[in-house]
Amino acid sequence: MLTILAIICILIGLFFMVVGAVGLLRFPDFYTRAHASGKCDTLGEGMMLVGFILYEGMTLISVKLLLLAIFIFISSPTAVHALVHVAYSRGVAPWKKGDERQ
Amino acid sequence: MSLKGNRSSIAGHAVVFILLMIFWLLLSGYLDFFHVGSGVLCCGIVTLISGDLVFTEEKSLLRSARIFFRFILYIPLLLMEILYANIDVAYRVLHPSMPIDPGILTIETPFEGDVLRTAFANAMTLTPGTITVDVCGGTFTVHALVLAGGEKDLLETRDIQNHLGAIFEEGA
Repeated sequence: MLTILAIICILIGLFFMVVGAVGLLRFPDFYTRAHASGKCDTLGEGMMLVGFILYEGMTLISVKLLLLAIFIFISSPTAVHALVHVAYSRGVAPWKKGDERQ
Repeated sequence: MSLKGNRSSIAGHAVVFILLMIFWLLLSGYLDFFHVGSGVLCCGIVTLISGDLVFTEEKSLLRSARIFFRFILYIPLLLMEILYANIDVAYRVLHPSMPIDPGILTIETPFEGDVLRTAFANAMTLTPGTITVDVCGGTFTVHALVLAGGEKDLLETRDIQNHLGAIFEEGA
């Protein structure tokens, strides 16, 4: 039962990782790509780690995986913010509706 | 770096040392003399060097603990918001005509604390269609995926804003 739940969590995580990759390819400019990769990767990795925790059960490895999930949820938005901030301060113009793809 | 400071400073150092020690034991998993001994040594050195970074003078230990536990209670709400935001982004990525209309917004907040601003910026990057681009004082520059839905997104962000303000005991 717990294994099935774990597999469902991992599949949801994989779905969001794939969506993030597709968004990275389809979206028109740097900022919108940051949206796709930043949000979907965070939830995708989080869901996969939750799946691993459910699969592993109550061991020390689960605690380490939980710490890893917390770290990703703090560091991933920070990394996206750092990238976007540098792009914005260096004058990368945001894409407007109707513009060409960059 | 004087350990002769007031009592709250010593208590702060003790709490930092205990937290570091718990973290060490969780990561190592060994309980023999060598591993615990080297853990005590390492945590002691780290506490001596940077123990005063976690608990600053103006915030008491009790208040920090209260903020911490209230923040933990807030996490499920944040996770629901993150799930909603991700489904929204997934819809916009997978829709054949890609219904996006991005643009830059600014959001004014009355927030003062560094931790509160960081938490708000992180929450905004993860939730509805926005990425924090720049923080200048209490003003957040934000890149929104859908400008037309900006009002709605902004309202939801204000909801987060109110929650975080209440958690960190600052006006929002």
